[in-house]
Amino acid sequence: MSGVNLSGIVKAYGAVQVVHGIDLDIAEKEFVVLVGPSGCGKSTTLRMIAGLEEITAGDLTIGDRRMNRVAPKDRDVAMVFQNYALYPHLNVADNMAFGLRIRKMPKAEIKTTISEVAEILGLTEYLDRRPADLSGGQRQRVAMGRAIVRHPKVFLFDEPLSNLDAKLRTQMRAEIKRLHNRLGVTSVYVTHDQVEAMTLADRIVVMNNGSIEQIGTPMELFNNPANTFVAGFLGSPPMNQLKGTLTESGAKVGETEIKLNGSVATQAGRDVIVGIRPEHVTLTAGEKTTALPISLDLVEPLGSEALLHGHFGKDSLVFKTETGGDINHLSGVGEVHVNASLVKLFDAETGHALSLGA
Amino acid sequence: MADEHTTAGGPPVQEPLIETPSSEGRLTRFYDHIRREWQIYLMLLPTIIWFLVFLYKPMYGLQIAFKDYSIFRGVAGSPWVGFEHFETLFSNDQFLRAIGNTIKISALNLIFGFPAPIILALMFNEVLHASYKRTAQTIVYLPHFISSVIIAGIVITAFSPTAGIVNTVMGWFGLDPVYFLTQPQWFRPIFVGTGIWQEAGFGSIVFLAAIAGVNPSLYESAVVDGANRWQMMWKITIPSILPTILIMLIIRIGNVMEVSFELVILLYQPATYETADVVNTWIYRQGLQSGQYDLAAAGGLFNAFVAFVLVMTANTLSRRFSRTSLW
Repeated sequence: MSGVNLSGIVKAYGAVQVVHGIDLDIAEKEFVVLVGPSGCGKSTTLRMIAGLEEITAGDLTIGDRRMNRVAPKDRDVAMVFQNYALYPHLNVADNMAFGLRIRKMPKAEIKTTISEVAEILGLTEYLDRRPADLSGGQRQRVAMGRAIVRHPKVFLFDEPLSNLDAKLRTQMRAEIKRLHNRLGVTSVYVTHDQVEAMTLADRIVVMNNGSIEQIGTPMELFNNPANTFVAGFLGSPPMNQLKGTLTESGAKVGETEIKLNGSVATQAGRDVIVGIRPEHVTLTAGEKTTALPISLDLVEPLGSEALLHGHFGKDSLVFKTETGGDINHLSGVGEVHVNASLVKLFDAETGHALSLGA
Repeated sequence: MADEHTTAGGPPVQEPLIETPSSEGRLTRFYDHIRREWQIYLMLLPTIIWFLVFLYKPMYGLQIAFKDYSIFRGVAGSPWVGFEHFETLFSNDQFLRAIGNTIKISALNLIFGFPAPIILALMFNEVLHASYKRTAQTIVYLPHFISSVIIAGIVITAFSPTAGIVNTVMGWFGLDPVYFLTQPQWFRPIFVGTGIWQEAGFGSIVFLAAIAGVNPSLYESAVVDGANRWQMMWKITIPSILPTILIMLIIRIGNVMEVSFELVILLYQPATYETADVVNTWIYRQGLQSGQYDLAAAGGLFNAFVAFVLVMTANTLSRRFSRTSLW
């Protein structure tokens, strides 16, 4: 058993509480990503799992053992740090062997383990090099290698890709995913990058201000965000959010009444936030669509797709549409058509998602 | 819109791959650079003037090491005598003894005095109680700010056979009082010990700064890997500050011939010349007290030459073996 369980985990520095009672159950072999903006408590949570921060209250269990008071070295976890934390005076092989030597593993065994892991990570020809002589991606691989050689129960990743350029990040992301599929080790991964979270995670934990906003699979969170924070955090560009009021037959936003896929008649008059994903609109009208007039400010071509930046009243909106290889026809867009079945509603006061009656 | 982004067609302009500026171009660039960055050069100016006035101009006087110098004829007017003074120096037992003493004291300083601030810095780094650490640091920094005259006074008093604390403590154990400062065999330990007491604390600041620069996630990573504090010190802290240690060692080696002159003058006496007289004190006695300026200049030049060779050698060795060097 190598699952991780956090129950009512609290972290406080003096009188300031930064993590407010987190409950999270991570199954064995699961890849869980903690995502949220800077200062939301995700790294602190990870460091509490690692044992680098003391847990103020609550229980942490790894496998069947309560770990609150257990030293980091005895938790059987390995951590990959944001800045790689490679020892600059040691070569790649010695960096990877560091933890094994400390644990007094026999020399021959260390050598075998390192060459196996170096083979997996494509580091065999760099074993004699020092970190300063490696590229960012190679350093990142060494940092992962150092974690892998330990054969831990749990991998902890603290924003491991944030120091890499965009191209390398995409490449390493895929490598991490492949490695997880191959090794099947329980992994907790912290990032502020929602694309990383969406692509890597079996389940995503969205955090904000020291609390969990929502836990779910990437598609669950994308399709059914629990509140406006999650809706605004996941998805690129984020979900458009417009203030409106429910009517007998839809949601009134400015002068436009947006059709909804369900009955809201009983709640008419309620103030809501209407959420429209940038990619959930079309440029031509269809069945059960509502035309939303926009004044277009800018067209950003991305190749096969383009981003339309515009205004609806005072609200700035972004929509995504396919270009068909040409963007000239987009400069004249004056309205987009919102698909009723894809519109999300949130309570204007609490920000919580509202479900539509059938 | 799209037309605006279209670049005009035409043959590409051929640019030379490597620019070879003319000497005139280089000069123009140099003046441009000075005009742009004049504030920085202005700030540098006092240091340059200081070097010129106090270190380069006096070098003119070095030629008296090769002359039969007379203060009446002046530096330029005195006749050349070649290496005569150096021959005199190396046939002078006192000078040879002074070289030997300098090397021995420096070696002791290097063996015991050089590691002391490093050990102190490593120890401070392990102290977790902030106010205790601050107090301890202040206490060890203090002796550095006390004048050598007072330091010597404290040492002389502490080792005094009548009122000194050392002899008093020895008395408690029934030992006879010893007049340490008149006994040649005690001079070097007392001198080196005093130097450590005076400078180890202040010297530790450099190493503490180097330790503060070590990436904290190296320690965190080591903690997760299972390293204890001792292993972290040996495997992370010391290797991480090794470049600083080497730079300080090179500087120290360059100063090997510069044994703390004033402290020797203040602590030694004719009874301890045998172990205490170093090159600089010998030069002082010959040059200023006996008026043999030319011989003293030859001694000083020899001293500087040895220091130059040592620092060059240390720098080269360090660059070759550790990729760290002063220049």
